Amino acid sequence: MQAFLQVTISGLVTGSLYGLLALGLVLIYRTTGVLNFAYSAISVFAAGFLYILLTGPRMNFWVALPLSLLFAAALGAVVERLFARPVLHAPVFTKAIATLALALVLATIEQAIWPQLAQTEHFPTPFEGAAINVGGVYVTVAALLALLVTAVVVAALTLFLGRTRLGIAMRASADNQAVAQLMGAPVSRIFLLTWSVASVVGALTAIMLAAQQRTINITYMDPVLILAFVAAVLGGLDSLPGALIGGVLVGLADNWLALGLAGHQLGPLDISAPGIRATIIFVAFILVLLLRPQGLLGKAELRRV
Amino acid sequence: MPTSQLSSAPPAPTASPASTPRGWRTLLVGRRLSLALAAGGLLLALLLPTIFDQIFGFAGGFQLHRITLIYIFALAAFAQNILTGYAAQPSLGNAAFFGLGGYLVAWLAGDLGQPFWVAILLAMVASALIGVVVGGPALRVSGAYLAIATLGLVFIAGSLFDFWDTTVGRMSYDINTLPGLLSDDHPLYFVVFVITLAVFGLGATLLRSRVGRAWVAIRESETAALAFGVNTTYYKLLAFIVSAALTGLAGALYAIWAQTANSSMSSVDETIIFLSMIVVGGLGSILGSVLGALFVGFLPLLLGQLPSPMTFGGFSIQVSTLTTGIYGLLLLLALIFFPAGLASARDYLRTLPGRLASRGGAA
Repeated sequence: MQAFLQVTISGLVTGSLYGLLALGLVLIYRTTGVLNFAYSAISVFAAGFLYILLTGPRMNFWVALPLSLLFAAALGAVVERLFARPVLHAPVFTKAIATLALALVLATIEQAIWPQLAQTEHFPTPFEGAAINVGGVYVTVAALLALLVTAVVVAALTLFLGRTRLGIAMRASADNQAVAQLMGAPVSRIFLLTWSVASVVGALTAIMLAAQQRTINITYMDPVLILAFVAAVLGGLDSLPGALIGGVLVGLADNWLALGLAGHQLGPLDISAPGIRATIIFVAFILVLLLRPQGLLGKAELRRV
Repeated sequence: MPTSQLSSAPPAPTASPASTPRGWRTLLVGRRLSLALAAGGLLLALLLPTIFDQIFGFAGGFQLHRITLIYIFALAAFAQNILTGYAAQPSLGNAAFFGLGGYLVAWLAGDLGQPFWVAILLAMVASALIGVVVGGPALRVSGAYLAIATLGLVFIAGSLFDFWDTTVGRMSYDINTLPGLLSDDHPLYFVVFVITLAVFGLGATLLRSRVGRAWVAIRESETAALAFGVNTTYYKLLAFIVSAALTGLAGALYAIWAQTANSSMSSVDETIIFLSMIVVGGLGSILGSVLGALFVGFLPLLLGQLPSPMTFGGFSIQVSTLTTGIYGLLLLLALIFFPAGLASARDYLRTLPGRLASRGGAA
């Protein structure tokens, strides 16, 4: 029981981080129609920037954190203007390939300017190793912060999209770009803003994950991105709450499977291998898609001639 | 002025048909030119081993081996193009079949000692069967959902192959029993060349037939195709099967070429290669599949010619770390400037004088 609780909590924590990343994916997909495969590279860029600030000039974490988030926002804006804008009217498929290419470029730039991150390095945080004991279950401060950050980001995004003029304009241009434009929504600025906000969300996710696992390198977000995509599709690609729920489901499934399969053998096969876990999750994901092709919370697409 | 945003859209890559009057005369010249080019290409491909031996001497076989890979890539690109460029199914799952073909050949021919042609055929059949299993569900989901679901398939395949390797305790699945026909550089080149030529010939015929027309109809408008009585379910499934079988063939040939199969054959990186080939070359273009394979095949060779390490001021860097970045950058530029692929560059060049003239007239 103790183990189950422990695993459930860590499932909730990693799940909420997957959900956060999925949120950023959905934000960009809904507004600009881009399946952003460069999201992990963008997030790692910001987390790597923080790592450099912490280890190079030995900046205080709480000073460096806002700086790296600002950096993420600027990076998102640059990426939007230089790469996403020129292919804005291309088919969804072409845009997806463009982000795959962008991911290669960004990863190479990261590797060129921070060669030390080609290996796995220690990621220092002020709350490293700190944990509290809740009835026999240990919860690290990093995990609590991850839950807190997720809650704050979701609340802020909900308020922004639901209550502010710009947020409503953002949803309008996601629904119908041409009409929103005719109604006077600053669509061009909204695209810029979407990429910036999504990049900040991605940076936060990457930093929280690095803080949790206490290490950082250039590729650590790649497997996370795939799971975040699964989470986003599971929730329905156009639903923000769906993305979060999808993320938590994936996180819980991953951790529960790890607990359930640990130490088990199927004949000569060691089924506790992480590959088997990923396979089960993907098979389940595909089965869910078969039953609900539009995802758990997505709206079915209308097809017009 | 919000409306000014509309003008930021890139100009259409191909001029409207009205701006390029093409009578029967130009068509005839065009066809004659294409025929001459095709004949020239064929001759070059046949003479390439001899030419390489003359130029590179002892290294001729090694260089030929690298060219053979481009044919295999062209097969994989053609398979992806049939599925994505013609039948408009944005599947990212072909790398799963690429790995399947490779592992099946290694297992059937290497471990079980079956003849290689049997192993290759069985790899194609197995890929086609799995293609049915994947294609069936794919008919229920579409667009971005299909893309992510099929990417999941690549992960499943990759991790299962990896699991197999680690369970048996090997780094990769080596094939040690290749006959001379498939292990020596020169005969292998011709074997792969003949297979590639046959597949492209049969494929081109298929695309011109009722099946190809049905795929294009689905691509242009699925609803309209349905209304015209095209059995969209059947033809979409057929596209998945044909594409899977051809990718399985390419994977089998790749494993023979590399004399080993490993789980990275079914990975996101491989998916990126397949997709970039057809997007760079041109969606829905047979020539585009070849151009894409040339782009993907030659670029690393060209970048390998750069001096390493390169120094910029006090900053030095290994070219090997730059290669993927330069590759990505070129891919991005190709997407931005040739959204319809390199195969469209032909139309672009042909209509360039007309567009320059009209621009001058407007100014």
